Amino acid sequence: MSQPLTQILASAAFALAAAWLAYRQRLGLSRSLLIAAVRAAAQLALVGLLIALVFRVPALAIAFVAVMVLTASLTAGSRMRALPGSRRIAVGAIALPALGATGALLAVGAFTATPRATIPTAGILIGGAMLATTLTGRRLVEGLSDGIDEIEARLALGDRARDAVAPLSRRAISAALVPLIDQTRSAGLVTLPGTFVGLVLGGASPATAARVQLTVLLTLLLVQLLSALLTAELVTRAATLPGERVRALPESVGLSSPRVECRSAFRNVPRCRVLPRHREQGPSGEDEHA
Amino acid sequence: MSAATAARIDGFAVRGLHLARGQRVVLRDVSFDAPKGTVTALVAPSGAGKSTLLRCLNRLLVPQAGTVLLDGEDTAELEPCALRRRAGLVGQTPVMLPGSVRENLAYGLDPAATADEPRLVQALADAGLDAGFIDRPAAELSGGERARVALARALTRAPELLLLDEPTAALDATVARHVGATLTALAQAGLGVVVATHDLPFAAEIANRVVALRDGAAVVGTAAELLTSEPPA
Repeated sequence: MSQPLTQILASAAFALAAAWLAYRQRLGLSRSLLIAAVRAAAQLALVGLLIALVFRVPALAIAFVAVMVLTASLTAGSRMRALPGSRRIAVGAIALPALGATGALLAVGAFTATPRATIPTAGILIGGAMLATTLTGRRLVEGLSDGIDEIEARLALGDRARDAVAPLSRRAISAALVPLIDQTRSAGLVTLPGTFVGLVLGGASPATAARVQLTVLLTLLLVQLLSALLTAELVTRAATLPGERVRALPESVGLSSPRVECRSAFRNVPRCRVLPRHREQGPSGEDEHA
Repeated sequence: MSAATAARIDGFAVRGLHLARGQRVVLRDVSFDAPKGTVTALVAPSGAGKSTLLRCLNRLLVPQAGTVLLDGEDTAELEPCALRRRAGLVGQTPVMLPGSVRENLAYGLDPAATADEPRLVQALADAGLDAGFIDRPAAELSGGERARVALARALTRAPELLLLDEPTAALDATVARHVGATLTALAQAGLGVVVATHDLPFAAEIANRVVALRDGAAVVGTAAELLTSEPPA
């Protein structure tokens, strides 16, 4: 049996085993696991075909990178959808650092300016920027809803709106960078990063793989920090209102587990219903405290 | 009465305040005065709009119509942060900022005021806490202690007016009486105190004037008058 066919069959067997195990354990995850596996197979096959096409027609690389940015922005934007203009925020926070760093690496000659080098490099940096944007935005939007009492306390003490949000913003940025910092300092010890593994499997020497991996990891440090900073700045701007006020957001919309209310007092069987985590909104988006 | 024709009140003068959320009118043509040197109680059941009204005074909320004057000046024309330092708000949920009680009391103050230990201790005493609290971590305080530190934190800023949202909600009767006495003494010293409370007897004990909210509209009188009339609920 050829090696490619063996790879496909082996990976499919592992995915099926995971679905079977989830079924046996009654986790309710079998369907999701199978759909995820099929989606990954279809998406990677399609991407493989597209990249092959891009390698032949280099002008398509720009469109390919644009699609990556758009997809990443939609994903990150959906995590902070309680905020007006969340997708625009995500586009700015992802595209500027990721594409800027890609351009810089190509400009200084760290990688050759070919689709074969540009697309994977941009892809990794866009993915990293998306992660930082998602984590910062999600945590900050969560803080703007659940932490509105703290923000109001600071406003009431005479803080400007952006100063009242700043502590939440700093906490969100710090939390967003923890995964990258952990990944970077444990690289090679706890995990072998994807770029390194891919290059070695593709036939590159371990030294070359390590050098390229290091370039990507260290670039990501700046890209993700810039993405987190930009996200925090753009979210803060979107959340502040004229008159040094802060927009109250619906409580933890789409961020955490929904509230479940059990109404069993007058019934024999407990009945639970999922409640939307909304506060009553005022004329300017303020919430009801009365 | 229009803002232009209103007599200048040394303190808050609220004129024709209106605020609705969707179809629900929270404040309906609300007008009253809250002069400095007096305690004004906003009395209504929970959810009737007291906190909303309090937040309109320091412009954490912006009403759809009406005017709030402070010492005769339209608060919409004042710099919001300066307004909020002049009219300190203590919210219903006493939020402790990270750090010790001292750091909470000194939050946002200039270094000279931060180093003014007697001022911080006096604020604590006014709120019913002894000096031993000053270096305790704020996060470790009980609900009642937090409420008193929040009051002390507002007092360290030497505001001209103090806006309090249910200040006795987390306090036992003894401490609530102490806080009430402190508010009365502060008003006698010239501070304007506006207290939002659902507790009419507490309002009767400390307030010079009472503003009852009924269906969003204000009924102004003394506590004795309101106690003998139809309850605000």
